[in-house]
Amino acid sequence: MIDITNLNPGPAVGIGYRAAIGEWTLKNLQHFDVLEITVDHCLSSGQFTASAIYDLVGRIPMTAHGIGLSIGTDVPLDLAYLDKVATIVERLQAPAYSEHLAFTRAPGRDLANLLPVPKTEAVAESIIAKVRTVQSRISVPFLLENITYLFEWPDSEMSDAAFLNLICGETGAGLLLDIENLYVNAQNHRFDPCKFLDALPAGLVKEVHLAGGVTVSQNYLDRPVLADSHSHPVPDGALDLLDNTLARQTPDAIVLERDDRLHAGDEILDDLKRIRNRIAGQHIGNAHGRTAVGSAS
Amino acid sequence: MVERLLDRQVSPLEYPTGGGAIYGASGAAVADQAPPGFDPGMLRLEACFSHEKRMDKIQSVFPQTFRLLGDARAGIVRDFAATFPPVDISRLANARQFHEFLRARWQESLPEPPHLRDVAACEFAFAMARAPSPVDEELPPAGRPARGAIRRHPGIILLSCEYDVRPVFEAQGQDQSQDQSRDPARAALSIRRETLLAIFLPPGEQHPQTFEILPVVFDLLAVLEDWTVPSEFVLGPESDELIRELADSALIEVRL
Repeated sequence: MIDITNLNPGPAVGIGYRAAIGEWTLKNLQHFDVLEITVDHCLSSGQFTASAIYDLVGRIPMTAHGIGLSIGTDVPLDLAYLDKVATIVERLQAPAYSEHLAFTRAPGRDLANLLPVPKTEAVAESIIAKVRTVQSRISVPFLLENITYLFEWPDSEMSDAAFLNLICGETGAGLLLDIENLYVNAQNHRFDPCKFLDALPAGLVKEVHLAGGVTVSQNYLDRPVLADSHSHPVPDGALDLLDNTLARQTPDAIVLERDDRLHAGDEILDDLKRIRNRIAGQHIGNAHGRTAVGSAS
Repeated sequence: MVERLLDRQVSPLEYPTGGGAIYGASGAAVADQAPPGFDPGMLRLEACFSHEKRMDKIQSVFPQTFRLLGDARAGIVRDFAATFPPVDISRLANARQFHEFLRARWQESLPEPPHLRDVAACEFAFAMARAPSPVDEELPPAGRPARGAIRRHPGIILLSCEYDVRPVFEAQGQDQSQDQSRDPARAALSIRRETLLAIFLPPGEQHPQTFEILPVVFDLLAVLEDWTVPSEFVLGPESDELIRELADSALIEVRL
């Protein structure tokens, strides 16, 4: 296994690997400390894509990310799927495997979009048991990711942070903090994202996601809504939240996610620079004894 | 009695995967159908995002089909969304649903242009050929095929077409900047004649290859889904040579 923390004094910075820009990624490999591999792409995108990914082993550290577990669906986990994931994680020599705290499907329907679960103690208990199952079958640390959500369950009784803390605290799972998701949720549901960050215990955040989305206006919506489309540069407000995060947390990796307008390679590289600048600023700030605090606008 | 979470999870999945939420009948009617306690506007937005993502996956499998559908495309997609809710996250599973929908629709009335049926079949075959081949299960010694047994390579898709639509794909990429759905020159590219195709993805390649094959080869490959001892066939004196040629071109596998 490659230790991504040994390469740089701060967190490793990289992108989520996408086959559609595989060649561009190879040409620009020197800009990345780490690539995040979506394990489901190794499973279902065909031999060519899987081979291109496995060819990167040993050339650059890779961390493993999943989108197909649907840990929040109230049915037993698909153990055959998990075992395939375990094999891929080993082959990638990934230091961690992450999945979303969400559900995407129920028997007979699959929205293929991440949906929230009711934030109740009963649901947390059910997910805690499943996290333990994942941990028993995957040899590397398991991280849960906070999702962006458009709707809330009417019976949710806990805050996002309290729900995550309960599950991670009981299982020892780390947090993949998606700062764009936090930024989007805070804007759409009108809460203070800094309070969310303040509620996370130090050391919980092991990896970070950043991305940029769009604002959507529709006649059936009460107000414009931010959408996590992974299509545009990271907003400054999300980078401010990164400052805030780095003041309290020491993630091993920061991954920029991009799934649309992939041709805009310059934007991707520029985002990485902006992220590195924020990390550098944090180090300078800490060295001078300042507390770096950011707040979302 | 407390309702099980799974039962409750079905509502926020069923509503946004229905045509009403995606396209919206009238605002009030849609809001009435939304599960109680949820924001109907946000659920509808969820439905639209999910539908767009799903159709992007499907369109990436059927680029020429979508182009050739032309003005009919919007109505077809709408009917599809109303009758085939998503049941799986994968590109191939969604493409399979769309292909099934088109086939059923075109059984009732022929598509326009008529070679569209074969174009869609070819594009779905390309997607199947790109998908990972199923891994053989380890069989007990008694169940293992005999040495010299042959079978069709599991990654090969056989297709019997009414039109020779290969020129549609050869022209692909030459000029995709304009909508060619009604381009008579493109329509003329496809000739009406029975065409038997074998489609497969050679190892290490990104794009599947398409070969026209003779009826005798097509028939032989069609029956070779499972391991078979060649002596079970009465193919005539040229059979050994044919099998050798098919093995050389990786269309069949020979058990060593």
